[in-house]
Amino acid sequence: MDLTVRLPRGLVLKNPIMAASGTFGFGPEYAAYVDLNRLGGVSVKGISPEPWRGNPPPRVWETPAGLLNSIGLQNPGMEVFLEEDVPFLKTVDTAIVANIIGHTVEEYRQVAERLSQEPRIDAFEVNISCPNIKAGGITFGHDPDQAFRVMEAVRAVTEKPVMVKISPNTAEPWIVAEAVTAAGADMISAINTLVGMAIDFKARRPALGGRTGGLSGPAVKPVAIRIVYEIASRVKVPVIGMGGIESAEDVLEFLMAGAQAVMVGTITFQHPERMLEIIETLPEVLNAYGFASLSEAVGAALPSRKEH
Amino acid sequence: MAHAFKVRIDEVRVPAPDHAELIVHSGELIKARPGQFCHVLTPGMLRRPISFSRIDRARERVGLLVQVVGSGTRWMAERQAGEWLDVLGPLGRGFDPPEGERPWLLVGGGVGIPPIFAALEAWGAQRTSSLEVVLGARFKDYLIMTDDFRRMAVEPALATDDGSAGHRGTVVPLVEEWVSQHPQGQLMACGPTPMLAAVSRAAASLAGPVQLALEQRMGCGIGACLACVVPAEPVGPEGPRYRRVCTDGPVFRREELVF
Repeated sequence: MDLTVRLPRGLVLKNPIMAASGTFGFGPEYAAYVDLNRLGGVSVKGISPEPWRGNPPPRVWETPAGLLNSIGLQNPGMEVFLEEDVPFLKTVDTAIVANIIGHTVEEYRQVAERLSQEPRIDAFEVNISCPNIKAGGITFGHDPDQAFRVMEAVRAVTEKPVMVKISPNTAEPWIVAEAVTAAGADMISAINTLVGMAIDFKARRPALGGRTGGLSGPAVKPVAIRIVYEIASRVKVPVIGMGGIESAEDVLEFLMAGAQAVMVGTITFQHPERMLEIIETLPEVLNAYGFASLSEAVGAALPSRKEH
Repeated sequence: MAHAFKVRIDEVRVPAPDHAELIVHSGELIKARPGQFCHVLTPGMLRRPISFSRIDRARERVGLLVQVVGSGTRWMAERQAGEWLDVLGPLGRGFDPPEGERPWLLVGGGVGIPPIFAALEAWGAQRTSSLEVVLGARFKDYLIMTDDFRRMAVEPALATDDGSAGHRGTVVPLVEEWVSQHPQGQLMACGPTPMLAAVSRAAASLAGPVQLALEQRMGCGIGACLACVVPAEPVGPEGPRYRRVCTDGPVFRREELVF
């Protein structure tokens, strides 16, 4: 079965499975464990114009069927990424998505402009939804006007395909999706993590160094499915779905909710090879539920499709 | 291509209450250096990084010694001989071998004792100068592996918080005393972070390398997620920079760290 996914502005994925930003480093880290050439794409860890230190440890905490993290977008900055990681990325044949972050609209513009000059970057994922930083990030993602301004600034400096990553931490996440689409976003990726907290009994304080963290893993999948469904019902651009995917059946669920492709994250920590297993079994799973092609499954559960 | 693989548990030992040492058979894990770890799959959302308590190349067996502190280590402690573990490894930066001519001190605290024993087992026989071992724990029962040290013909100096064995208090006064007597010495230590911070201060004047093996809550184990960081040099205007225990460590030189 042909698993190719054709997305706006000529972005082509050889299959709908991408590594989710923040769980796969900047590219080289997992290369010893995963043949990157077999992936649909990789969204690298968030990149800012200047280096960011990240949050104090502990940065991860296990919860029932979930993982709380408070990394705080530690990254070495765009110049180090270009110098140290892009040469490796040039040796692999998979779509490279640069996840970009900033404290201000100007910083988003700077990093988009700089990385836009690098031919190896196939697309951008504008991260306005990370719950783990104090300034910027999620504050843009919770206000449709500010989200619009970030996307507008990025659109002005790049012709590459741009997706915007949506926060699940608002009552109606599709309002932000509609705003960034109006500002020129080519795609929506959803969802980022849900804000959460755990208490360390012995230390008598929040378990994470950053106090709050972002919840990922299977615990969030129903929330993600619902948000993807709502966005895909309202917004014309393609949706990239994610949140707790562990199997090809989970991928199918996102596809049927309206996603054209997905990102896989937390499960990679336990099973680095799981994305490849999902790619291998996806055709069987599509067939088992009566889909002759990938595109047939996309949006199959949306009301507009049912009415046909 | 590297990948997760299954290893068979040959034997389960109970070195102390709430502790278990899984002796696993693996031709791959015996390539480890003391201080390295393997990342063990548990029923939860994250693997557990466990350092090697012994690396027996001849019999192709390594030891994974855990203290039960949560759901993952409890699951590990409940395993039986004949069952299999899913592991990634060996991972991380281990101890560098001791410099032959320098007096050598090994310091282990609680469940930090196992990699210290692995270092002794790997390099103790080749030593050309004096070697001493200091072990500390909360109380006598938690002073694990002392018989293993004695089997290597080393009588460890002991410290317990409650005085139930050896010196009452922490290992730090014993380390300070050794440092004052062996200014040309070298040191390897593993234990809780407050202990390592105190050992690092006590060992600041040593002429030889001071190698400290750190513990931190960990995500991927291979350097991608940046969860398992510790404060490290250089300290900038915003504070220390954060380095990864999984790939920059777990073993660091004392001058690399900020406590």
